[in-house]
Amino acid sequence: MFYYEFMQRAFWAGACIAILAPVLGVFLMLRRQAMLPDTLAHISLAGVALGIVIKITPEWTAMAVALIGAVMMEWLRRSYKSYSEISVAILMTGGLSVAVLLMSMQHSINKGFTAYLFGSIVAVTQEALYVMTGITVIGLFLIWWYRRPLYLMTFDEDCAQTSGVPVRGLSIAFNILAGMVVATMIPITGVLMVSALVILPAALATKLGRSFGQTILIAMTIGVFGVFSGLFSSYELNTPSGASIAFILLLTLICGLGLMRLLKYLKRRRNEFEQSFTIQPTVSVPQPISANEHLKES
Amino acid sequence: MTLVHMQDVSFGYEDRPILQNVHIDVQPGEWLVVMGSNGASKTTTLRLMLGLLKPWHGQVSRQESISIGYVPQQVSAFNVGFPSTVYELVSSSCDTSPRFSKVPKQEKEAIVWRVLQEVGMQELAHQRIGNLSGGQKQRLCIARALALQPDLLVLDEPTTGMDTESRKGFYDLISHHVKQHGRSVVMVTHHWEEVRKYADRSITLERKENVGWRCFTTSSCKGHFGQGHALQS
Repeated sequence: MFYYEFMQRAFWAGACIAILAPVLGVFLMLRRQAMLPDTLAHISLAGVALGIVIKITPEWTAMAVALIGAVMMEWLRRSYKSYSEISVAILMTGGLSVAVLLMSMQHSINKGFTAYLFGSIVAVTQEALYVMTGITVIGLFLIWWYRRPLYLMTFDEDCAQTSGVPVRGLSIAFNILAGMVVATMIPITGVLMVSALVILPAALATKLGRSFGQTILIAMTIGVFGVFSGLFSSYELNTPSGASIAFILLLTLICGLGLMRLLKYLKRRRNEFEQSFTIQPTVSVPQPISANEHLKES
Repeated sequence: MTLVHMQDVSFGYEDRPILQNVHIDVQPGEWLVVMGSNGASKTTTLRLMLGLLKPWHGQVSRQESISIGYVPQQVSAFNVGFPSTVYELVSSSCDTSPRFSKVPKQEKEAIVWRVLQEVGMQELAHQRIGNLSGGQKQRLCIARALALQPDLLVLDEPTTGMDTESRKGFYDLISHHVKQHGRSVVMVTHHWEEVRKYADRSITLERKENVGWRCFTTSSCKGHFGQGHALQS
């Protein structure tokens, strides 16, 4: 499998996004922005279509459009603070409508679009690999550097702001990073499966982790497991890589949650069983007279 | 030396005014209680004070480089099962504040443990915050605010979920911080009878119907400073 250069590239790119995407996912999920990756992916589809129409590398135009979308998303989230889901609806439909309009202008691009929608392991070019590696290194460094303000902002924006965290700037910067990551993920996972890799590992990790640091590490581990197994099965079974990764991550989530429930049930049963043997007798039993007292009495 | 100065502040949501010409000064080392019935815009007043909302008219100024510890009425992260330990959350205050940038790690850890001890949560330090009870979550928020070593503590109904005994302990703790460390406190509460012996001053937000829109005025009880609240309407 690793004899093929495209597989080497796919695994390298997969490793990059599998480490970074779930970390972003933990923050996004806790900030109730779980739909952000999906929205940005749909927006970047318009960028892909634009790139093909104006004959510029689609990855670059997709990233540019995703970045604009990320900033707009933050602006809309603040404008509709009580109904932040509205920003998802507005941008997702906006991105898709532009993409479809551009596609209708040039019928020849429809075929190539399938790879962007569902992901393809052969779609990772050498150029895209360099970009992915760069974004992963920069992204991980930025998250590590700003881990504490990000943590506090994720816990409560008001508390973070009064503690001196520049919440607005940090929030926009975080969305921009998410936009860059989503745009680079598209060749492997496909537009429709992006949120699987971002959110599914985070969904399980937040249940398993006892601390925030532990949650991040668990999410990364699940992400790497899902991507590598997905790419492997995609190669062996000739299935789209995005769908394979998403399916394995979904199975992992279901198994993980099921196992947690089972362990909780067994623990409860064990406690009930132990309690049934530790009930103290309520009736006092007369104690036998000791040997000395017996002698005294006699 | 006023820590926070609110002058002629008016504010509303959409086109509906709810606060008119509010004047509040917070002095160093004073304990100010904000009262009012439900919907009297007490939280809004605090959020204006903190700079989380921009006033329609008037001016809100805070002393430069002031450190503020804020305990909100509700923290939504508790509802989504935030995966963090008590210790992680409390220490995050020290880690993000510019005030602690040059403080050695051991000293920061000592502050966190001391604050946890003060709120009686030392033994729960490594518990996941999602597993805490309502009262414990409230104490955790207070510990997080205290760990900042703030000049001003802004507490929005901090005793929610606490029993009478815990409330008494809480007032003693805050009183200790006011008297020993010179911190200022602005606290929203409905338990005036309990808190009056500790507080220096109170402000009551009142609804005024006869001006045609919802307008709140402030009034004060006698306090050490004898000024600071009056509203012109």
